[in-house]
Formats: sequence, structure tokens, C-alpha cells
Amino acid sequence: AMEETDFQDVLDDWFIESLNAYKDLHVYQLEHPTQVLEWTSGKTVCVGGHGASKNEILELLLPLKLFADENKGLCAERDFKVVHGGFTEGPVRCLRHVPGSRCVVTNDGLSSDLQVWSVGGDDSDVIRLTGRVEGRKRRTTKSVSGGGSRIAARLSSQVLHGAQSGDVQLTQLTSGQILYTLETTSDDPLSSLQFVSDAVFLAGASNGNVYVADTRTSAAPQLHPAPASPGESALWWTDASPRAAVLRLSSSGQAVVSDLRSPGGAVSRARLDVQSGRGDPEVGVSWAPALDGCIAVSGFGGAVQIYDTSLWATEPRDAEPLFEHRGHAVSSRSGVFVAAHVWHPERPRTLLSAASDGSVHVWDWVDQSAAGC
Amino acid sequence: MPEIKVTPLGAGQDVGRSCILVSIGGKNIMLDCGMHMGYNDDRRFPDFSYITQNGRLTEFLDCVIISHFHLDHCGALPFMSEMVGYDGPIYMTHPTKAICPILLEDFRKITVDKKGETNFFTSQMIKDCMKKVVPLNLHQTVQVDDELEIKAYYAGHVLGAAMVHIKVGLESVVYTGDYNMTPDRHLGAAWIDKCRPDVLISESTYATTIRDSKRCRERDFLKKVHESIERGGKVLIPVFALGRAQELCILLETFWERMNLKAPIYFSTGLTEKANHYYKLFITWTNQKIRKTFVQRNMFEFKHIKPFDRSYADNPGPMVVFATPGMLHAGQSLQIFKKWAGHEKNMVIMPGYCVQGTIGHKILNGQRKLEMEGRATLDVKLQVEYMSFSAHADAKGIMQLIRMAEPRNMLLVHGEAVKMEFLKGKIEQEFSVDCHMPANGETVTVTTNPSVPVDISLNLLKREMALGGTLPDPKKPRTMHGTLIMKENSLKLVSSEQALKELGLNEHQLRFTCRVPLQDPHSDPDTLHGIYLHLKSVLKGYTIQHLPDGTVMVESIVIKVSSSAEDPNTKVLLLSWSYQDEDLGSFLSTLLKKGLPSGLC
Repeated sequence: AMEETDFQDVLDDWFIESLNAYKDLHVYQLEHPTQVLEWTSGKTVCVGGHGASKNEILELLLPLKLFADENKGLCAERDFKVVHGGFTEGPVRCLRHVPGSRCVVTNDGLSSDLQVWSVGGDDSDVIRLTGRVEGRKRRTTKSVSGGGSRIAARLSSQVLHGAQSGDVQLTQLTSGQILYTLETTSDDPLSSLQFVSDAVFLAGASNGNVYVADTRTSAAPQLHPAPASPGESALWWTDASPRAAVLRLSSSGQAVVSDLRSPGGAVSRARLDVQSGRGDPEVGVSWAPALDGCIAVSGFGGAVQIYDTSLWATEPRDAEPLFEHRGHAVSSRSGVFVAAHVWHPERPRTLLSAASDGSVHVWDWVDQSAAGC
Repeated sequence: MPEIKVTPLGAGQDVGRSCILVSIGGKNIMLDCGMHMGYNDDRRFPDFSYITQNGRLTEFLDCVIISHFHLDHCGALPFMSEMVGYDGPIYMTHPTKAICPILLEDFRKITVDKKGETNFFTSQMIKDCMKKVVPLNLHQTVQVDDELEIKAYYAGHVLGAAMVHIKVGLESVVYTGDYNMTPDRHLGAAWIDKCRPDVLISESTYATTIRDSKRCRERDFLKKVHESIERGGKVLIPVFALGRAQELCILLETFWERMNLKAPIYFSTGLTEKANHYYKLFITWTNQKIRKTFVQRNMFEFKHIKPFDRSYADNPGPMVVFATPGMLHAGQSLQIFKKWAGHEKNMVIMPGYCVQGTIGHKILNGQRKLEMEGRATLDVKLQVEYMSFSAHADAKGIMQLIRMAEPRNMLLVHGEAVKMEFLKGKIEQEFSVDCHMPANGETVTVTTNPSVPVDISLNLLKREMALGGTLPDPKKPRTMHGTLIMKENSLKLVSSEQALKELGLNEHQLRFTCRVPLQDPHSDPDTLHGIYLHLKSVLKGYTIQHLPDGTVMVESIVIKVSSSAEDPNTKVLLLSWSYQDEDLGSFLSTLLKKGLPSGLC
């Protein structure tokens, strides 16, 4: 165990390094750790607790200083503001904002049902439960996979959800009507669900399969089979970029980039430097919305890594991260891991990350490499 | 029902003017007496008309308590005591008493000299006000009078800041002032024991924030200083007194050492004088761990930080200078500012709030052209940075404090008309206490339920125990009979006999008599016998006797029969019973009024 002074020194070193490594850096401590980070606007983000019983859902306003571009020096406001809050009976394992509305949808990981919340306007600071959506009934007797339902939402209050590939359906929140169901005989537990356009969505399974379907047709989905992976069966996580690139990452660090339009192919590969210290990591992998070709990876340990996929080749090689945010690991004594991260939708290098010790960091990293994003 | 009333004073709905009136156990206490820094007219003072429409406040207030030296908590104190009028005691901690008058005088000078105000308190008024101050020590119970007692607790936040516990009889209130729950370099965290007050009063301003870490604020400071130095610029840091200046010096010294930086750092001499004075205050006020820090760093004996000479301001190259006063309103910091303001490479870092009318306030509001004396304009080209290092509790901090004190009710004072339903719900749920949020001028009444202690006489207790068998059981309350005597300030429960004895009274017996007419042809003795038989048949289970002296007795009730010589058939039954047999007695008189059934004897 580290001595108290050693611990403080490490912290100091990291903070000294951070002077050049980050433009902005904010470190917060939530009362309860969150596994979800979801933008509800360009300046507000939702978090939720995942304890066994009563939890809080909070909508936080990011510090004004972060956005004060011209008069940044004159703004001393560095704190999060809790603008709305509510209580939920179960854990919050997945949380999605419904675009164009003040609604969010959550899943507790215990069943495939969803809870619908109204985040409130200026009149009230309370986040209220306004409805529920029933998930599709199990066709098999398999128990719900570890993560519960994945959720994706689009305009007109339509929510895509499901825990397994065979359960995916699109529900109209206002009427409860089921507008579409994914027709497939497979029953792969899902690790992600996202819209890649108004009507086309991607369902990423934990076994590495990716299903692409169009909600306007009842045609069977297009299957992008899991990349070949040596050794024991790995878990996979998926994210699709705005430029139709699909990234898949395995629990052993194998990364594959493919094109959404060509199933079965692979554009590039890499082996990422992820220490799988944890048995069952909650991995987050995401394309940068405003930084071409860059991705962020978290969940394997206490760091968030940024990689530049444009440096990857067709043959897999070891990839070095472009940047590593080690703030959570450095400021925590025991084995902390990053539970969630998100990129800011517009600011190219701004991210938020949340760790298992309740810390939430907002950071704007400096690209110190010669080439890259 | 006994109750505690809390009213935040003042007009307007903005935060920034702490002044709370509490009525408890017949006492009236004013908590803080702050100034609203955003207004120039009477709106900056609390609305004392709530206490009384005309005249002085002395007879209406039992005491005034000031939590700490920030102007939004004590800025209106001289106005209240000398211009409105209050001559009672004003309680505050020793450091607050030492620092308050200095801040008030600075504030007065700026307001009167710079802004030309006339209706403002004078220097003499500040002095007269401070004469009424009674200093407090931490954790020491002070009797304001024989019923009201107060105690100060450590609040963190700034030097000398206190939370205060107010008690009258069995009712109590705790007021937090400003506090913080995370210790920093020179101040510990607030602490209070499980005092379980009826009401815990706290400002809610920061209840909905989640604070950025101290380290990140420091990082920003170092980054800004470093960037300026790297480009050859000069950095001016106007500071007020100890505390913040000392802290920032330690930070820069550590940084300079780590990074092997060569640029000079200076502190102005005005700062050293004040610093040494306050250093002593710090030592007695802070805890062991912090005391060690100061002993190690023997006040301004730094390796990299040297005393400033005014001629250095013209030296070429980068440098950092700490200078007073803190708001750039006069003195050395202003002189240096004038020299350095014209160059973009330079920087001024304002580490705290600046009062309206000061240069500090103007540049923090983005003003880039300043009017100086003699109509000269100063172009502000240097970089202006506003950094807040003040330590405040946040959402988590409030919950921690409630957990520590375990109040029965929570009261959050907030100036803004904001909705805080979520926080209210959170507190109510987690602690099962009512959470009140009065607006300025609104009174909250909290009903208290104080226990009233009563002594019970040993005889009475033994008698009751003999009846029931087992000792009194809190889970099985039983009705008991006794007499409650209030003598002086104590209450006791005694048996009736003992009460009578103590009061010097004789026990009286109460007897009822009743005459019932009865038509009966028999002789008196025979009628009596008929009555005897009748009652025996009706009242089974009772002791009924026909006595040789010519009476029938039912339990203790006596029945006689008599008649007049003129009308021997009209009998008169005389019934007599004591108070204890009231029920039976009334029953018998009603029964006998109906007459005897025929066929007896």
C-alpha cells in the first residue's frame, strides 16, 4: 500500500503534467457513482445511480466557464449545477435522451421494460416518472443478459429497445404503439443499439455480430458477422460513426473498423493496449463526433484512451493511444474503473468520464502528437 | 403548542443579504446582518421594519450573532446598530471580531470616497458597533441571559467562521452561516456533534451545485501564472489578508521548486505586516494539523518569494507580485496595476469578490477603459482572470451536515425564487424531516415537541407498581392517577394525600342525600324490609344489609324510611351516599322512585 505522502506526490505529478496535457480540466465527486452519461442538450448531461434500491437521476449543467469562450477569464464559475433531479426505485443501467423533447428513457437491467421520465422545464426541478414501456417478452428461457435493454431514441418520441437481437422493437412513446420489430431468428444479447440515420439502425451483439436494419421495411436485417477472434470467446462492443464506419472492440483488445455498407469486410484493425484487469468489464467505445477517425475507449481500467484509427492498417498491429486520461486512476486508491464516457457533441476534444468511485471528470485534452487528429 | 419562528429578512428575492430572525422560547435573535452588494439604495440592507416599524431594535432583540466576516453577512451591522439602533450584545468569534472592522472600514471608504455616498455609516459608527461585540470561543457555552444560551462550532469556510447552536430551555436551533465540509490547505472542515436541534438553518445557495475540486482550481491558477511567465509577462495578484494569500504563496513556491522556475515572486510589505498579525489569530483558531503547516512554513520565509520594493515594478522580464489591497481600490496593488495594465503579456488574477465602485469590480465586468484621477483614461490590455477559491458546502455537504447534527426540521434560506422541490424531497426522504424553504420576509413556524420532565414521588411510584406488578414498561403505557404540582420551575407528580398535605388542605368528604317519596300502607319498618327484599332481588352481587338500627345499607349507601303522623301512608325514603358511590346512588334513587313492586312482604 502506498504511503499517504507517496499518494499525494503522484497526484501532484499528474496535476503538474495536466497543465500541458489539458486545456480545461474539471474534477467532481458525485454522491453516488453513475454508469450512464447522456447529453440532454449541448450544456446539460444526465447521470443516474445504480444501487440496489432507491437511486437518483440528475440533470447537470456543465460549468459556465467551459463555454465562456471570449471572456473565459472573467468567468469564475467552475461547478456543476444540479438543474433537475428525481428518484427511481431501481438502478439506472441505461439512460437515453429522446431528441427534440424533455424526456429520457431508462432501463434498470433487471428486466427489459423501460421507464419514461419527464425532465421538467423552468417550472419545476423534479424529474418525474411519466410512463413505462413493456419490453418484448422472452422467446427463450434464457435470463436477461447482464446489461438489460439497450436503448436508442429518435425524433417524434420513438424509442428503439431490446436486450437481445430477437427482442428489438420500436415503440411510439406517446401512444405505446409498437411501430416496428426486428425480424430475426437470432437471440444474441446486445451490447449496443443506435440509429445511424433517420430510419436505419445498428444492433451490436456481445458476441460480435452486428445487425443493420431499416425501420421502414420488414426485411430481415443485414448481418455483419463477428470478426474472427483467436482464443476463448470474447465480448464485443460496437459503435458506428457519422461517416458510416463501424468500430468493434473485443474484451481482449482486438479492434476492427468496417464499413456499414459492406458486411463481412474490414477496413482496418489494431490491437489496443487494454489491461483486462476486470472479469466482466463494462466497456464504452465511441467515435468522436467532431474529430475524424478518433475513438475513445473506457471500462477496462481507470483510464480513458483516445486512439486515431486513421493510423491503423488492414493487418492488426499494436496501437498506441493518442492520449490517455488517467485522472480517475491517479486520484483513487483502490481498483477504480471508468464506467462511462461521452464526447461533447461539438467541442472536438472535450469529454466527460465517470468512474466507479463516483468521480466525474470533464476534460479538454491537448493533442501533443505531431500527426493525427 | 410550542413553536419556533424563522423569518429571513430583507426585500427582494436575490441571494446576498444574510439576515435571519429567529423567535425561540420567547427570545428573539438576529442571525447575521449582511449587505446586498448588488444594490445602491436601501434594498442593500435587510428590512428591519419587520421587527419594528419605528425606533430602536434593542428591546426587540435579545442578541445578534454574526457567523463570519464576509460583507454579505456583516456589511449592514454598523447600519443596524448605530443608524437604526441596537445596544444589546453582538456575538462573534475572536477572528471575526478582529477582521470585521477592517473590512467594514474598507467597504465604507470605497462607498463614501469612491462612490460619493452620503447616507452611510461612518468610521466612528464602526468603532461604536464593535464595542458591543462579545467574542466567542469554539465549543464554549455562553449564557446570553438565564434562559438563552449559545455555542459556536467550527465552520471552515474562512478564518473565524462559525456555526452557532442556540438553546432556550429544551428547544434549540442551529444556524450554519457559510460552511464547507471538505478540508483545504489552511482550514479544516465544519464539524458539529449530534446535537439534534429542532431546526437546522442553512443557506441553500450551493445546495444544488457539485463543486469542482480544489486541485482543479489550483491547476487553473498555476496554468495561468505559468503561461504569463513563459511569455515574459508580469502577474499581479491583489490579495486582502492572510488565508488566501498564504495559501497561494505556498502553491507557487511548491510549483516554482518543482518546475525549477527562475522568475521572481514578490509580496508587498503591507501584506507582511497584516500577515504577521493574523498569523497569531490563525494559530489559536486552527487545529493541530494546520498549525504544523504554518510552523513549518514560518510565514513569509519562502525560498522563492521575496519582499517587494516599489521600484521592482519597472524591472524588465516576468515576475509575480502579491499586493494589497484586494480589490484594486487604492494603495500598492492599484499603483502596480496602473503600470502593468497597458501590456497584453501581463495578467491580473483576482482571487475573490470585488465590491462595486472598485477597479477590481470594473475589470471583472469586462471594462477595458478606466477613468482614473485627473480625467486620465487607462487602457486595460492585460489579461484579467477571475478565480474563486472560496470554500463552500455543496449538495453533498448539506447532506453530510444534516447527518451529523440530526435536526428534527430542516430550513433552507434562499434568496432566489427558485424551485428546489428536488432537494426538499431528497432531504425529506433521506432523513424523514420536514424541509422548509421560506422566501425573504416569509415566516416559517416550526412546531416543536419538547419533552417536559416531571419528577414522580417514590410513594406514588411504589403504589402504582404494586397495582400493576411489573416495573413501568415504555412499550406498555398505563394510566395513573396523581396530582401535578408546579413549584418554582419544577414539576412533580405526587399522590393526592401528599398534595393535600403540601398545600395544607384537609381532605373533605362529599356526601349526597336524596329524598324519595313512596306510597306504602305498611308500617315504616315493614316498608323498609320491603325495600330490603326488593333491592336484594334486583342488585345481585352487591352487599345489602338490613341493620338493626333501622337502616338498609347497600355497600356504603344508607337508606332510611320515615313518615309523618298526619299521613302515615306517604313514606319518605332518605338515601345518602358518598361521592365514591355516586353511580350506585343515582341508580338506587331512580329505581326507588319507581316504587316498590306489589306482592312483597
